[in-house]
Amino acid sequence: MSADQDYKYIGKGISRLDGPEKVTGSAMFVHDMTLPGMLYGKMVKSPHACARIVSIDISEAEKSPGVRAVLVGRELPYKVGIYMIDKDILAKEVARYHGEPVVAIAAQSELAAEEACAKVKIVWEALPAVLDPREGLSPAAPLVHPELASYSYMKGVFQPQPGTNISHHQKIRKGDVEIALAKADVVWEAKFYNPPVQHVAMETHTCIAQALPGSQVQIWTSAQSPFTVRNLFSACFGIPHQNIRVHVPYVGGGFGGKAGIHLEPLAYLLSQKAGGRPVKLTMTREEEFGAMPSRQGLYSQFTTGATREGKIISLVAKYIWDAGAYADYGVNVGRAASYSGAGPYEIPNCHIDSLVVYTNKVFGTAYRGFGHLEALWGIERNMDIGARRLGLDPVEFRRRNVLRPGAKTITGETVTEHTGRVDLCLEKVAEEIGWNGIQTEEERAQAMAGGKVRGKGVALLHKAPAMPVFTSSAALLKFNENGSVDLLTSIIDYGQGTYTALAQAAAEELKMPIERIQVPWESDTAMTPYDWQTVASRGAFMGCKAVIAAARDALQQIKETASQVLRAPVEELVCRDEVVFVAHRPEECLSYREVVMGYSYPNGNSIGGPVIGRGHYIAQGLTHLDLETGQGLPALDWTYGAHGAEIEVDLDTGEITVLNLATALDVGQVLNAQSLRGQIIGGVVQGLGSALLEEFRFSPQGRLLNAGFVDYKIPTSKDLPRKMSQHIILTEQLDGPYGARGVAEHPMISVPGAIGNALYDALGIDFFELPLNAERVWLGIQRKRSETQDTLPGAIKLPRAIHLDKGGA
Amino acid sequence: MFDETPQNTLPGAIKLPGAVYTISVEVNGKACTEEAPAQMTLLQFLRERLFLTGAKEGCGVGECGACTVLLNGRAVDACLVLAVEADQASVRTVEGEARDGELTLLQRAFIEHGAVQCGFCTSGMLLSAQSLLESNPHPNREEIVEAISGNLCRCTGYVQILEAIEAVGEGMEEGG
Amino acid sequence: MIRPFKYSKPRFLREALEALEKENARALAGGSDLLVELREGKSQAEHIVDVKAIPELSCFSIGKDGIIIGGQLTLNELAESKELGQTCPILGDAARTVATPQVRNRATLVGNLCTASPAADLAPPLFVLGAAVVVASKEGEQRIPIQQFFQGPKKNCLQPGQLVLRVEIPPRSTGRGVFMKKSRVRGHDLATINVAGWTNPQAGILRICIGACGPTPVLLTSSDELYQRAVCRDELLDGLATLAQDQIAPIDDLRASAAYRRSLVTVFLGRMVRILFPEEGGWPHV
Repeated sequence: MSADQDYKYIGKGISRLDGPEKVTGSAMFVHDMTLPGMLYGKMVKSPHACARIVSIDISEAEKSPGVRAVLVGRELPYKVGIYMIDKDILAKEVARYHGEPVVAIAAQSELAAEEACAKVKIVWEALPAVLDPREGLSPAAPLVHPELASYSYMKGVFQPQPGTNISHHQKIRKGDVEIALAKADVVWEAKFYNPPVQHVAMETHTCIAQALPGSQVQIWTSAQSPFTVRNLFSACFGIPHQNIRVHVPYVGGGFGGKAGIHLEPLAYLLSQKAGGRPVKLTMTREEEFGAMPSRQGLYSQFTTGATREGKIISLVAKYIWDAGAYADYGVNVGRAASYSGAGPYEIPNCHIDSLVVYTNKVFGTAYRGFGHLEALWGIERNMDIGARRLGLDPVEFRRRNVLRPGAKTITGETVTEHTGRVDLCLEKVAEEIGWNGIQTEEERAQAMAGGKVRGKGVALLHKAPAMPVFTSSAALLKFNENGSVDLLTSIIDYGQGTYTALAQAAAEELKMPIERIQVPWESDTAMTPYDWQTVASRGAFMGCKAVIAAARDALQQIKETASQVLRAPVEELVCRDEVVFVAHRPEECLSYREVVMGYSYPNGNSIGGPVIGRGHYIAQGLTHLDLETGQGLPALDWTYGAHGAEIEVDLDTGEITVLNLATALDVGQVLNAQSLRGQIIGGVVQGLGSALLEEFRFSPQGRLLNAGFVDYKIPTSKDLPRKMSQHIILTEQLDGPYGARGVAEHPMISVPGAIGNALYDALGIDFFELPLNAERVWLGIQRKRSETQDTLPGAIKLPRAIHLDKGGA
Repeated sequence: MFDETPQNTLPGAIKLPGAVYTISVEVNGKACTEEAPAQMTLLQFLRERLFLTGAKEGCGVGECGACTVLLNGRAVDACLVLAVEADQASVRTVEGEARDGELTLLQRAFIEHGAVQCGFCTSGMLLSAQSLLESNPHPNREEIVEAISGNLCRCTGYVQILEAIEAVGEGMEEGG
Repeated sequence: MIRPFKYSKPRFLREALEALEKENARALAGGSDLLVELREGKSQAEHIVDVKAIPELSCFSIGKDGIIIGGQLTLNELAESKELGQTCPILGDAARTVATPQVRNRATLVGNLCTASPAADLAPPLFVLGAAVVVASKEGEQRIPIQQFFQGPKKNCLQPGQLVLRVEIPPRSTGRGVFMKKSRVRGHDLATINVAGWTNPQAGILRICIGACGPTPVLLTSSDELYQRAVCRDELLDGLATLAQDQIAPIDDLRASAAYRRSLVTVFLGRMVRILFPEEGGWPHV
C-alpha cells in the first residue's frame, strides 16, 4: 500500500457519509414511506408448482371492506423481462411456480387487502412440473414455456432454444479438447451441485407506484437500478421514458436481488385500477423467499486432462442452471459464469456448455458473484481432486496453472502485467493459513482418534463485471452558493460505501475538503444523471471514472472564468484548497466561492455562471462473445483473489468450526480502506452462509419448505470464523480509477471451495454438494466409516444418499 | 382497565370486529396517549401512529431483530409485543438515543468503525448493544456476540459492529 | 397481519379464568409464540387474555420446598437468577439456548411448556427434575406431572378455562444435572435434539430426557436400574444408548433426518454421562 501516499482522500478509511442518518433512524427507506391516500397491495399466489387456472372468482373479494382494486392476469396484456421478455405480471393461463402471483388486490389497509385475498376463489388443474433442470433437458419433459419461440430477447447475446426448456445456451470453444484429452497423462471427472439460495437483504422488496393523468407515473422503489426500472417499465407498458419517474431513497441491502424490475409494474397497475391512488407493495419475509427471485441452483461437471507435470491441457465443462420459471438475469448468469468457467487458469483447450434451464420453481436472478460462487465451487474442488490424482500439492498444482502475463483466457483475452496477480493472492493465503501440504491418510487416522480433526484448504477466484457492452455511467457535480458541491449520481449505495468513495474522488479531484461534498441519498431518474445499473462490482469503478471526468469539467469551468479575472491563460492556472491561482504567482488567486456562481467585478459586470461539472464513462473496448465459440472481450476488469481456510470438524456431529479464513484480493488500488474491509468481511460471511448453511428445500411437489428465518438460516454473530484476515494486492488497473478495480462481489466467491478443500484435508472425504451442513458432513463420515468397516455407534441405519446423478446431465 | 370502544376502526374507516384501546406509553422520555386496536403490534404503533420508523420490520416473527426497541429497559422485538401490552411502560427507540443532535458514544463508534452498511439492521443493532452496555459497561467479546446474536445483518459480517461496541466498552469510565 | 381480537388484562385470577372459558380465548404471557401463530393465521383467537397482571403468576422462589416458577417469569429472568444458577443451573442453561436475547426477555418458561413443542428446550430439564405444572380453573388447582402435561406435538392437556399458574420442582437434597442442545447453527435455532440428565448418586437416581425425538420429550424409563446395575461408566453409556434408541421415535423433518437425530442422541448421551460422572475411576458413584 504505497500508491496512496500522494492522495489526500483516496485510499483513506473515511467513514460513511450517511452514518449519522443511519445511526439515528432518520434514514428514510421505501419501507418507511407512506403517501397521502396510499393503498396497500397484497397478492394471491399459486399453491402449485405448475397448474392451469381453470377459473378465478373475485366477486367476494371485490365486495370485501376497503378494497379499491382487484387485478387478474388475463386483463393484463403485458410481458416483462430484462434479457428475455417472458414474464407475465400476474400469471395468466398457467402458474409456473409455487408462490407466483395470480391475483393482486389494493385496499385501504394491509389487513383489508389480506382479508380480501382470502376471499378469492381459484379453480386449479395441476399440471406436471419440471423440478429438476437435468430432467428438464429430456425431450420428454413438459415445457415450462411452450411459447418460447414467440418471446423477444436480446439478440446476438442470448440463444434460447424453442421447443426445449433452454432459455440460453452459452458455448465457449478454445482449442481442441478431444485431441488434448487423448494426449493427457491423467484424466479425471467430477460433478458438483449448488442449491438455490436467497439474497436475504434485510429490507424486503417494496415499492410505491402512482398512475397519474396523461400516462405519467411516479415510482418509489427499493431497487438497485432506477434507470433500468424505468427502461424496462417503459418497454413493458409503452410509456415514454420521460413520463416515468423512478425515485430510489435509502435501500436496505440488495446483493443483486433488487437489480432489474420486480414489483413496480404490479403496483402501478393496481394504482391505475384504483383511480390513481398510490399503491404500496411490500413483501413479507415469507413472500421474499417464496415469490421474489433467488440465486439459481447449478449442476456442474468437469472432465479435465493434465500432463504428468501437472499442466492442465484440456477442460470440458458443463453447467446446468436451475433457472426457475423465468429468465430474468439467469440467462446472463449462465453466460457470465461460462466465460469465467475454467477458473483463473491458463487452459489451452477448453470447451464449455452452459445451459440455462427453465424449471417450475421460483426464478433465479443476479446474486453477488453472479454465477461465480456456484461455478467456482466445482472448479476449485475439481482442482484439489486433480492435484490428488497427479500426486501434487494442491497449492503447487495451482501455481503451475494460474493465469500469468502473456496467457490467453478461454475467450481469447490476453492477460497483461496489469490484469492482476492471482498467483500472489494464492501465496498470501497459503502463507496466512500456514499451508504445509495435504495430510496423509495415516495422519488423518491418527487425528481422528481425538474426536476432532483439522484441515486446511485454498481456493482461487476471479470475476469480471457481467454487463452489456454499452454500459455507461454519468455524474454531475453541482456547486452551491457557498462553494460546496452536490454530487449527483444514479448509482445506488445500498450499503457498499460507493457514495463515500465517489465523494473521495470528487474531493481529491476538486482539491477541496470532503466535508464540503454532499451525495444526496435519493436518486431520481428526472433529476440525477443516467447510470445503467448498480451491479457487477462496477459502481465504484465506473462511477469514480465519471466523477473524475465531471471534476475536471468543473475545474475547467472554474479556470475559464478565473482566467478572465486573473488575466492569465487557463493552462497557467492551478486549483488547490478551494482556490484557483496563477501557477507562478499564487497571490493572484480567487476562491472557488467567488467563481462558482459567476464572478462579479466591482462595477457589477458579471461573467461565468453556476458551475456544473459533467462527466461520463462508458466501458471501453468490450465485444459481444461469438455465439458459436464464445470468443471475444467481455471484461471491463478482472479481479483476482484467493481464500484460505483452516477448519475443525467434530467427527461425532459433523459440525464444522472455521478456525481461520484468510482472503487476498488484487484490488489494484484501495479507494476506501474502511469500506473495503467491510465489503470483504461481509462478503466472506455471506460466502460462509452459502458454504455451510443456506439452501432452498422443496417438497416433492415443488413447494418451498423453508420460506422464513425459522428454517432458512443465515450467519449470526455467533457463526463467525474464529479468525478472519484480509489481504490486499495492488497491481494497478491501467484504466481503473486511481488504478482500482471492482471488489464488491469477490469476497464471497470461493469461500465454499476453500472450506470444501479443507474438509477433504481433514477427513479424506470429497464433498460435491453445498451446503456443508453438519448433517451432510456427518453422513459423509458415516459412509467412509462403513466403507472402512469401522463400527458405527448404536448401529444406525443410514438414510439414502442424496445423489447427484439423475436424468440426462 | 382500558377504555374500550365497540368498533375497531382502522385507518381508512374500515369497520372490523375487535376493539380499540387507549394506551399511555412513555416513548423516548415523553408521555404519549394514543388509541391502538388490540391486534396492533408495538412495532406498528411506533411506526404508524408515532411515525418513529427507525425500528424496521425484517421478518415480523422475532427472528431478525430489526425491530428491536427497549421496553422498560430490556431489548425486545417490537413485532412480538402488542401495543396494548406496552400500556404504562417506557419504550426507547433509536430516535431517542441522540440528545440535542449529539450522537451517543455508541452511535459515533458505529460510524467510526464502519459498523453500518445498508443501515436497515442498524437501529435494532444499536439498541441491543446499548442495552448490553447499560447493564454491563465493559463487556468482553463473547458477551457482545451474545448480545447482538438476535440481530441479523446481511451486509457487514458483524466484525466491525463487534469492534464498535467493544471500543465503547473499553472507553467507558467506571459507572459511566 | 394479525386479525382483530379483544384484549383484556385481568388483575384477578378469577376474572382470567372466566375469560379463558370463552370459545377461542387464549392466554398471553410473553407472546413470542402466540403472536407468531396469530400473524400466520394458525390461531383464530378472538379473546386474548393477558396474564401479566395476575399476582398468582408472579411467584419465584427457591427454598426447602423446592423451586417454584410462576407463569410470568421470563427465560432471561431465570437465566440471570444467581440463586437459581447455584441451586439448579440446568434451567438457566436451557433457558439461555432458547431463541434470541430479545425473545428471552419476553418468552416465559410456562409459555415454552404450553406451546408443547417436542423440541421445547425447557422441557427436558423439567422432566428430569420431576416437575409438576400447577393448573388453575374455577374448580380449583390441580398439580399435573409434566409428562402428562405434554400430550403430543404442540398439544398440551389444558382445557378451556384452565390456566397454568406455576411450575413446581420438588426439593432435592443433592444431585447434579446437565443440559445440552444441538442446533443446525450456533446462532438462534430450534433444537435438532436436546437432552437433559440429572443424577443423585447417593440415591442411585439417574434421569435422562431427550427432546425433539418423538411427539413429546422422552423421559427414559429404567435409567435408574441401568445406573444401579452398571459396573463401569462405559457399561452405563452403552446401556443408555440402547435404552434411548429403543424409546425415542424421531422423524425426518427440515431440521434433520431421523437417522442423524438418533446418532446425535448417542453422541450427546455420551458427552452428558462424561460430565455427570467425570471420573472414570471412582465408579460406582455413591
